[in-house]
Amino acid sequence: MAIMQKNYLFGSAGKWRRLTPLMLLIPGVFLYLLIALGPSLATSVYSFTDASGLRGAAVNWIGLDNYREFLFEGLASRDNIDATLRTLRFSVLVTFIQFTLGLILALLLNQKLKGRTFFRTLFFIPVILGVVIQGLMWKLFLQPRGGPMATIFDWFGTQSEFLGGLPGQAFNWVIVVQIWANVGVTMVIFLAGMQTISEDLYEAARIDGADGWQLFKSITWPQLTPAINTNFLLNIIGSLQAWQLFLVLIGYKPGTQVLGYLVYAEGFGQGESPAFRQGFAAAASIVLFLLVLVIGFAANRYVSWREDRYMA
Amino acid sequence: MSIPLKNPVAALDKAPSFSTRSRNVKIASYVVLSIFSIFYIWPLFMLVNTALRPLTEYLRDPAGLATNPSLANFADAWELANFPQYMLNSAIYTVTATAIFVATSLFVAFPIARGYFKGSGAILTLYVVALFLPPALIPQFQLILNLGLFNTRPGFIMLFLINPIGMIILVNYMKSIPRELDESAAVDGSSYTRFVFSVIFPLIRPAVATVTVLHAIGIWNELILPTIYLTNQDLYPITRGLIVFEGVYGSNWPGIAAAVLMLMLPILVLFMFLQRYIIGGLTAGAVKG
Repeated sequence: MAIMQKNYLFGSAGKWRRLTPLMLLIPGVFLYLLIALGPSLATSVYSFTDASGLRGAAVNWIGLDNYREFLFEGLASRDNIDATLRTLRFSVLVTFIQFTLGLILALLLNQKLKGRTFFRTLFFIPVILGVVIQGLMWKLFLQPRGGPMATIFDWFGTQSEFLGGLPGQAFNWVIVVQIWANVGVTMVIFLAGMQTISEDLYEAARIDGADGWQLFKSITWPQLTPAINTNFLLNIIGSLQAWQLFLVLIGYKPGTQVLGYLVYAEGFGQGESPAFRQGFAAAASIVLFLLVLVIGFAANRYVSWREDRYMA
Repeated sequence: MSIPLKNPVAALDKAPSFSTRSRNVKIASYVVLSIFSIFYIWPLFMLVNTALRPLTEYLRDPAGLATNPSLANFADAWELANFPQYMLNSAIYTVTATAIFVATSLFVAFPIARGYFKGSGAILTLYVVALFLPPALIPQFQLILNLGLFNTRPGFIMLFLINPIGMIILVNYMKSIPRELDESAAVDGSSYTRFVFSVIFPLIRPAVATVTVLHAIGIWNELILPTIYLTNQDLYPITRGLIVFEGVYGSNWPGIAAAVLMLMLPILVLFMFLQRYIIGGLTAGAVKG
């Protein structure tokens, strides 16, 4: 049997030459190293330079200057730190709300209900539409003068400038759209998890007289551990890096920036200065990366602790 | 064989109340789901509604209903937004990049799944690692710039030739294909290329479909990379074109709504036919722990 496991492709039985598979493997791996892995690793190198967006321009090593500027230099650094804290706030709110809503929707749609396919599809559709459609749809819906949402607000005697108003207000609406757009993925992952739970467990517990909450607490929740962990990690990491809806919905406005957007704006001349400050942007993206790493690592530790507790 | 009940009589007593309760649960579920649906149906409805109204009517009352719907906005947006060109560009980028990605990935994934090379495990690790590394945005730009591929179709397409998650899905699926097939193919004298294309490819079609659809949707919806890499209007994909259109015709929401619907249509059609592959891909490995 051990021989079967071995590499008979190139053994005496096979006729394929060793070179062909290797030659065919190379293009894919080469592209991957060139476009993804190489640049990804090079980000840290660029963060120590003054690289610009000009072709052939000299790139000088400036040590930790970018990081110093990001963290400590004048008013701009306060904005950067605010953007970092805002990123965290965005992530915590999005993760918590999206996780909860996704779980509720999945629980409701895991019942035998008429029209559940319709509901599942409806909540999932925004996921595949992409940020441009998601964003423009809500920009229309949130028109401050006489738009649909403004009309509802009017019924209750309140008003809102929505996306064009106070930065804090606009920021909150981006959170709403972000969750609206992505809760479908969370729901679908929960549903897939629920389908792996055996109906016998519920049957047995019902015979013992367990009520709905007890069924959820002692069967669904522990049995759902893999899906819970996946969603928890995906939501945290995804929301820390999400920023494209900000671009479509409000643009680069003071008081609403998050780190991902800051990287893009600084690196490609969309911020206050039209210069491509790529070295600085690389440093900012390393800050974001470290944030994702630390939080992702902590979340992962928590998740494996839960797994030991429930799955063992 | 009887099921041991703590108190059979109490259980019988509970039966009718249980069914009323389950009916109440159902009603409550429908209420909650309907409230949620409003936030999905209404924006979509308003989008369609707005697209069907003349601009003057919309400006007078943005939330009003289309009294005499017309398709004029679609024709206008089609012309003004340079839609045919942008759609064509999007199609070129999506199809070319996805085809190259899938073709090259098959030949990476197969030997890795089989462990045919020393260090194929290490190659797979390279793909997994990428999911946890810093974004490649800045050095990638420097690379394309210095290769002289900035603002060109090949340079733009190059950015979409890889997909680590797609590769991992392919490798995992290929592991379920029996190895005996390789041996008999080799003994029969089938060439390696032919074997991968005509034996392995059909067997892993579900995985290929998932990866293809997810990759293609990602390219079709991409907004940031075209904003960075393409400055020539003739090269814009539809997403970038639409954002430019929104910037120029900022208050012409009927026109924008019509354009958004036209961008949405191909994705929705694709989704209806390929739903299970999309959802299968997004939940792949997510529930097994």
